[in-house]
Amino acid sequence: MSRARVAIALLAVVLSLVIQTTVFGASGIEPLGVAPAFVTLVVIALGPYVESEYHLLLGFTAGILADLMGSGTLGLWAMSLTVVAYASSRLRARFNEGLLLSLALVLALTVLGQVVFVVLGTLFGQNLLSDPALIAKVLLPALWNLVLAVPVLAVLNMAFNRRDKGWAV
Amino acid sequence: MLPTSGRKMTRTTVLFVSLVALGFLIATFDVRDDGDGIANVFREGTQSIFEPMQKATDWVASPVVGFVDGVANLAGLREENNRLQDRVRDLEAQVLETGSIQEQVRQLEAILGVEPPGELATVTARIYSSGPSAFDNARFIDKGANDGIVVGQAVIDEDGLVGRVDLVSANDARIRLIIDPLVSAGVRIQSTNETGIVSGRGDGPLRLEMFRATAGISQGDLVVTDGSRFPPGLVVGRIVADAQSEVGFVLRAEVEPAANLSKVDYVKVIIGWTALDADLQDGVIDTAVSTTSTTVTTTTLPQPEE
Repeated sequence: MSRARVAIALLAVVLSLVIQTTVFGASGIEPLGVAPAFVTLVVIALGPYVESEYHLLLGFTAGILADLMGSGTLGLWAMSLTVVAYASSRLRARFNEGLLLSLALVLALTVLGQVVFVVLGTLFGQNLLSDPALIAKVLLPALWNLVLAVPVLAVLNMAFNRRDKGWAV
Repeated sequence: MLPTSGRKMTRTTVLFVSLVALGFLIATFDVRDDGDGIANVFREGTQSIFEPMQKATDWVASPVVGFVDGVANLAGLREENNRLQDRVRDLEAQVLETGSIQEQVRQLEAILGVEPPGELATVTARIYSSGPSAFDNARFIDKGANDGIVVGQAVIDEDGLVGRVDLVSANDARIRLIIDPLVSAGVRIQSTNETGIVSGRGDGPLRLEMFRATAGISQGDLVVTDGSRFPPGLVVGRIVADAQSEVGFVLRAEVEPAANLSKVDYVKVIIGWTALDADLQDGVIDTAVSTTSTTVTTTTLPQPEE
């Protein structure tokens, strides 16, 4: 895989973290009180554009950065987003089978990421199961990701295809 | 010998298992270190790298976000507007009453030779980013150690207690909201004067536990800090429903936080008060305070209104 492709993917991850913690963060856009899981969405959406091993490394990097920018136990998002990247890369061929299936995958993989995070957080003493808004915090980000998936997939498609047509020449 | 695709799959799976194992190790070490140690150095470093990008994005996006939020919550804004108008009327009435009472207090203090209580020094800070998920109750503020902020200090807004400072770097700090399960505070019920402990549950009302309660508590009773971990008298919230103490049992109730934690933009960090808990001071409390670039104001704490 070319360095430029890796650079674009890394840039997408960094931007997603900045957007997650500002635009969808404190006092930002939080429909019904819960923000989209934007970093998870970008990790999923990178699936069709990067090779499996790179995708796993990107998922882990996005996760460890998310851990470092939060207040929870280090490594929880790293593990969760690695699982999401793994599942996403195993299903990468399905992303080419139409928009509806892609959206369904985004929904399912976002829920998977949130559930894995809750399970791991509980294992590591984060007390997440006692959260009264647990169900909303697992399901709503997946719904918002569904809405955001179309523009995010379009932007990534444009970025990677433009690179292939232009820079790779 | 595996076919190419099989070998490829094996390599991916091995990498997957290795990364998950690495994540597990990192989490284990972080739990063992209790979130301190080398992890905090990495956290501060990462935050320093992302801070300029976050502040720039926040600056660019905040008008758009405000507009989108306003459109999405038109009904809520009308309700909020009505509530604020009611509050202004109440406060105006209170100001009129308070003026004459303050004068009487000043005269009595002068007669009795009583030293009036000092106001607390605070630093006003803006929240510019938050943790990366809905499960994260962290907020980042644009003031840090250079402004006199240290770990453990109370953070308030105009309604009451917002949280406490739990990580500080030179120019910014992280606060943990009171709804975080890892935050607890000693409190006093204003109507009965009895004490207990509130702790966060991740969202929604706080959990109140009173171990030696002799009287019941009623819906709407005001809950304020007792002065052990945070300065005394800070408004925490109000009791959600009536609760009775039973002999030999802990009285449990829920407290609705006074501060609107989902929409806090500006906060005040109380830098003029030291927690009694030695573990909170963490050796940092003696750090030299440089306030050259920051306006340190004195603040009368959000007062309970009955």
